[in-house]
Amino acid sequence: MTAEAGVRPGARTQFARRAVGSPGVRVAGRRLLAVIPVLWGVTFLTFIVMNMLPGDAAQELLGANATPAEVHQLEIQLHLNEPFWVRYGNWFGGLLKGDLGTSLSGGQPVTTILGQRLPVTAELLLYAFVASVVFAVGLAVLAARRPNGIGDRISMAVSMMGLSIAPYVLAPVLVYLFAIKVGWFPAIGYTPLTQNPVENIKSLTLPAASIGFPLFAVYTRLLRADIVEQMQREDYIVTARAKGVPPWRILIRHALRNSLFGLITLVGLNFGTLIGAVAIIEPIFSLPGVGAILIESINNRDLPVVEGIVVIFAVITVAANLLADLLYVALDPRIRYERAAV
Amino acid sequence: MSAPLFRPAGPQTLLPPEVTAPKRARTRRAENWTHDLKITIPLGLLILIAGACFLWPLVYPVPKPTGGSILDAGLPPFSPGHLFGTDAVGNDIFSRILYGGRVSFEVGVSVTAIGLVIGGLFGVIAGYLGGITDAVISRVLDVLIAFPALVLALAIAEGLGPSELHVIWALSFFGIPAVGRVARAATLALREQTFMLAARLAGTPRWRVVLRHILPNIMPQLMTFSLLGIGVIIILEGALSYLGLGIPPPNPSWGSMIANGQQTLSSQPELVLIPSAFLFVTVLSLNLLGDALRERWGVR
Repeated sequence: MTAEAGVRPGARTQFARRAVGSPGVRVAGRRLLAVIPVLWGVTFLTFIVMNMLPGDAAQELLGANATPAEVHQLEIQLHLNEPFWVRYGNWFGGLLKGDLGTSLSGGQPVTTILGQRLPVTAELLLYAFVASVVFAVGLAVLAARRPNGIGDRISMAVSMMGLSIAPYVLAPVLVYLFAIKVGWFPAIGYTPLTQNPVENIKSLTLPAASIGFPLFAVYTRLLRADIVEQMQREDYIVTARAKGVPPWRILIRHALRNSLFGLITLVGLNFGTLIGAVAIIEPIFSLPGVGAILIESINNRDLPVVEGIVVIFAVITVAANLLADLLYVALDPRIRYERAAV
Repeated sequence: MSAPLFRPAGPQTLLPPEVTAPKRARTRRAENWTHDLKITIPLGLLILIAGACFLWPLVYPVPKPTGGSILDAGLPPFSPGHLFGTDAVGNDIFSRILYGGRVSFEVGVSVTAIGLVIGGLFGVIAGYLGGITDAVISRVLDVLIAFPALVLALAIAEGLGPSELHVIWALSFFGIPAVGRVARAATLALREQTFMLAARLAGTPRWRVVLRHILPNIMPQLMTFSLLGIGVIIILEGALSYLGLGIPPPNPSWGSMIANGQQTLSSQPELVLIPSAFLFVTVLSLNLLGDALRERWGVR
């Protein structure tokens, strides 16, 4: 969706040529090329790290009482006795075909496991992100309206708290306050969306808040700083003021709109890094997402499942980054031409 | 680190006296950091908490953090001899907070120091030399950043067995690329400065440019980043211990105290709330201090 799309609707071939050569596509292409080695490095590093762990899946599955012969038998069955490079090659070959292998402990295909669990995690993350961005935009605008005013000070204090609180600190405190004391939300458990939408939202509210509050704090501070800078420095704000545009309109239509770029980038960056928070928060609330099985799979040395989760999150990170970059390019003509010139 | 480091030689030296900073009360007071509440309050809190953790058990006897008697289990706060009460197996909470805090500070500071030295070195080299060196180092940092830190830390802690040293190693994989990126970006920003050109024209050797021109200039940025970094690392250490992969179980850590306390959240919420409060106030102070210093040193 670059601006070129609307420039000359007439000549089709010319349009196609322009689209391929357009800065947006070029930026995306260059980004994708740069990202491939990073993605590969992540999968390879995961393989190495998991292989360095003492014991293997066969040992973990059979328990401490198994005889070496039994363990060896299962190792052969699971192809764990093959050399490292062969196993990585097999796995990577499968990945290229869209096959993530089968779980060593359950025998299920990893894609099936992810297919069942990913929607829960995706809903949780989406909830956390949407809520944190919406609240952050609201609070940042309020704060930036009058820098150092009372609203600004309160919002800065709230966001400073959010920066300093860990999800695993926030979660039990929220459970204590809102599930045990007041009883508004369930302390644990997950209700599928198809079963009961209201209960579904309720069951995800506390976990989403635990993940989202720290994000909200970061976003608020970033956005507020950007808006304040726009309001103080930019000529177009002065022009708008001189024209007699009402202050609220300047703030939202001009300053906020031009400050959203930093936020978009950061959201893109954050999306994939939350695997850790998800791995901690989901077990606390007994949510059947991918985070809940991540730690279990590491403990079981269930390499295909761990790799599958790592790959999914790495791809999500890359995709979110790319999307943020493209939004950036699409929204800001200056960047478009600057990068096109390079 | 000499004094003018953090006070860039500004226009005072170039402009006639009447143009230099007017001696208003506010600027004078701002010169002296001890009068800045934004610095003294978080710094004081940090000194108070860290001082208590490291010195209190030496000066004033506290019960042992482990091996408490089951007869003392579940005492409420302000019980005689147990300021914060005891946990489900009879260990003194106050003592566990102090010893757990030691772990938090030790891990936070060592990981950040390792990150500063190694990450800073690679970042500066990448930013200063550029070219293929930069490309290689940047890609490696990218992989380390893209790699889910907690997975790596979990795997290392799992593999090596839970211990404070292993936690430090594991979390260093998180600290090094973070500092490396900041150092690289800061060095890149310096590369186009006139004094760098001047140094090159004067034939200054590369190592000297790095030591005398780059390091002093990126130090404020790295220092403020590190303060925030200590907070992040303390939170991550807590996360590992929370998952039972940090400090080996009977020994206290704020993270494992929160995890254990959750089982009795409805009957004894203070078991979760007390370590949570300490963790929160410590990280908050580090963040506030980092913010205040950033403002003071004019770091963005």
